[in-house]
Amino acid sequence: MPKYAMVIDLQRCVGCGACSIACRNENNVPDGIYWSNKITETAGTFPNVRFHYLPTLCNHCSDAPCVEGCPTKAMHKLDNGITMHDPDKCIGCRYCQYNCPYEVIYFNWQDPHKFWRNPKPVIEGGTSSPKEMAQTVNNGNGAPYSNPGRGKTLPENRPKGVVEKCTFCDHRIKVGEIPYCVEACPADARIFGDLDKPDSKVNRLLGKFKPYRLKERLGTEPNVYYIRSFNPAHYQRTKGGI
Amino acid sequence: MKAIKIQLWYGLLLLGILLGLITAYRVLIGTGFVLYAKTDILVWTMPIAAYVFFSLTSSGLAFVSSIPVVFGIKRYQPIEKRTAFLEIAVLFAAFTCLLLHLGSPQKVYYYLFSPNLASPLWWLGMLYGLYLIVLLLSFRKMHKAQVSKGLGVFTLIVAIATSTALGWLFGLPDARPVFSANFLAMYFPLTGFGSALAAVLLFSLAYHHFAKVPLSGGDRNLYEDLGKLFGFVMALTLVFFLWRTIVGGTSATAVEFGGFRHMLSSGWYHLALWVGLVIPILMITMPAVRNATWGKITAAALFLVGMFAGRLEMVLSGLVMPTGPKAEGQPPFVSYWPTIWEVLVFVSALAVLLFVYTLGERNLKLSEAPE
Repeated sequence: MPKYAMVIDLQRCVGCGACSIACRNENNVPDGIYWSNKITETAGTFPNVRFHYLPTLCNHCSDAPCVEGCPTKAMHKLDNGITMHDPDKCIGCRYCQYNCPYEVIYFNWQDPHKFWRNPKPVIEGGTSSPKEMAQTVNNGNGAPYSNPGRGKTLPENRPKGVVEKCTFCDHRIKVGEIPYCVEACPADARIFGDLDKPDSKVNRLLGKFKPYRLKERLGTEPNVYYIRSFNPAHYQRTKGGI
Repeated sequence: MKAIKIQLWYGLLLLGILLGLITAYRVLIGTGFVLYAKTDILVWTMPIAAYVFFSLTSSGLAFVSSIPVVFGIKRYQPIEKRTAFLEIAVLFAAFTCLLLHLGSPQKVYYYLFSPNLASPLWWLGMLYGLYLIVLLLSFRKMHKAQVSKGLGVFTLIVAIATSTALGWLFGLPDARPVFSANFLAMYFPLTGFGSALAAVLLFSLAYHHFAKVPLSGGDRNLYEDLGKLFGFVMALTLVFFLWRTIVGGTSATAVEFGGFRHMLSSGWYHLALWVGLVIPILMITMPAVRNATWGKITAAALFLVGMFAGRLEMVLSGLVMPTGPKAEGQPPFVSYWPTIWEVLVFVSALAVLLFVYTLGERNLKLSEAPE
C-alpha cells in the first residue's frame, strides 16, 4: 500500500497562490474556507525587513489528533495515509478543529456558496440573479463553476454543519492523477509521491535535503515536508561588533 | 392568586423554551451557525461554556446526593431527593446547550454505529447517556434500601467519570497546553461540587421561601453545615484558580499560553475571580452573613455567576490567540462577545432546567426523606 506525502520546495515556491486557486476550483471550496492556505510573516525591523511565505495544507499526520478525537470516526485514516473526512458521519462538534495543531480544518457555518442562491439580480433589470446563473450553468448545484469530479469521493458541495479540509485530492489519486495543487504549481514547488517507494521523487528529495515538518515536537508525524528556503540575500563576511 | 403566579411562571419558562426552539430552527435549518459569534478560530464559545457549566454542576450534584446514601451521613437526607432531581433537571439543561452547539445533531446515532474508543468525546457522550439513565433509575428507586445504595454508589462513580473525562477532553491536544488534563481532571470535579452546593442552597432555600415552609431547627443546622462546606469548597477553588493564574498566566513563557495571559485582563476572568470567588468567600467567612438565609442565597448566586464566567474564560483562553494560517490578517488576539442567539442558548437551557425542576417540585415531593 502506498503512503502518500508531499514535499514543498520553498526555494522554488514564488508565493503566487496558484495552489490555493486550483484547490478551490477542484474541490468546490466555498468562501471563507481554505483547504490550501499560507502563513506569511514580515520579519526584522525597518529598513532591514524580509517577507516570508509558507504554503500550508492538511498535513495528513500519521498520528493525527483530529482522527484520535473524532467521536464518530468521521475523520479517519485511509490505508494510503490520507486523512479523510466523511461528512455523512460528522456531527459538527468541531473537536477536530480544536485538536488540530495546524489550523487547517474549517467548518461550514452556513450553506455553501450561499451567494449563488440569491434570487436578487446584481443589477435590477440589467443582469440575471446569482441563483438564475447557477441554475443555468450548473443545474443549481452550488456555484456555476462547480467541479462534478469532486463528487466521486465526497459530496460535491459539503453541507452546512460539518467540517471540511484538504484530502490530497483523493478523487484524483484514485484515477492515477496527482493532487491538483501540485499539478497547477507553475514553479513545480510541490512534489507528491509515495514514501513507501524507496526511489520515489519525494524520497529522493527527503534524502538530498534536510527536510522539516511543522510542529514536529508534537509527535503528530506530518506527511507534508518542507525543504530549502528561498533567500537570495547575501552579506559581507563579519564578526559583528559592540 | 397563587394559581395565576404559577401559570405566569410556567408561561415564562415555556417562552424561554420556545426561544430555544426558534434558535434551533434558525441555526440548524435556517440561516446557520453564522448567527453565533463563532469563527474558525473561536470554534467553541458560550454554548460549550454553558454545557460545561451545567454538566459539571450536574456531576457535582451527584457528589452532594451521595453524601447520605453512599457515605451514610444521615443529616443530609432531607436534601437528598431534591438534589437527585436537580441532577436530572440540570443535565437536561446541559443537553440543550450541546444540542444547540452541534452542527449536525441529527447524526448523533453514529456514536453507536461508528464509535471511536480513542476519543474522549465519544466516552463523554456515552458516559453522559449512561449517567442520565442511572440518575433516572436511582431517582425512581430512591429510599428503597439496598437498591438505592447500590445505585447511589454507581451514580457517584459515573459522575466522577464524567467530570474527570471532561478534563481529558479539554486536555487532549498537545497543541493547547493551557488546558492541562491533569489539572482539569481535579479542577472540574471540585468546581462542579462547588456549583452543586450553591445550587442546592439556592433551590432548597427558594423552596422554603416560595412554598412558605418555615425552616425547622434541623433544617437550619443542615443549611449552616452546607454553608460551611460551601465556603470550604470555594476557598479550595480559589487556591486552584490562583495557582492556574500563576502557573499558566505569569510563570509560563510558552507562546501557547498567550491566550490565557490575554484573558487575565478580560472581564470574564475578573468576574470569575472577584464576583464568583472573593466576594462570596468573604461573605461566608462572616458568621452573621453565613447564617442568614439571604447571605447564603447571595453567596451561592454570586458563585454560580462567577463560575459561569470562569467556564467561558477557560474555553476562550485556549482559542483567542489565532495561530498558523488562521492567524493571517487577524489581530494577535480575537475578541469575543456573545450574540443574542448564543445568549438564548443559555436562556433556553435555564428555562428547561427550571421547567423540569418546577414540575418535580410540584409533583414529586422533593422534600421527602426516609423515616
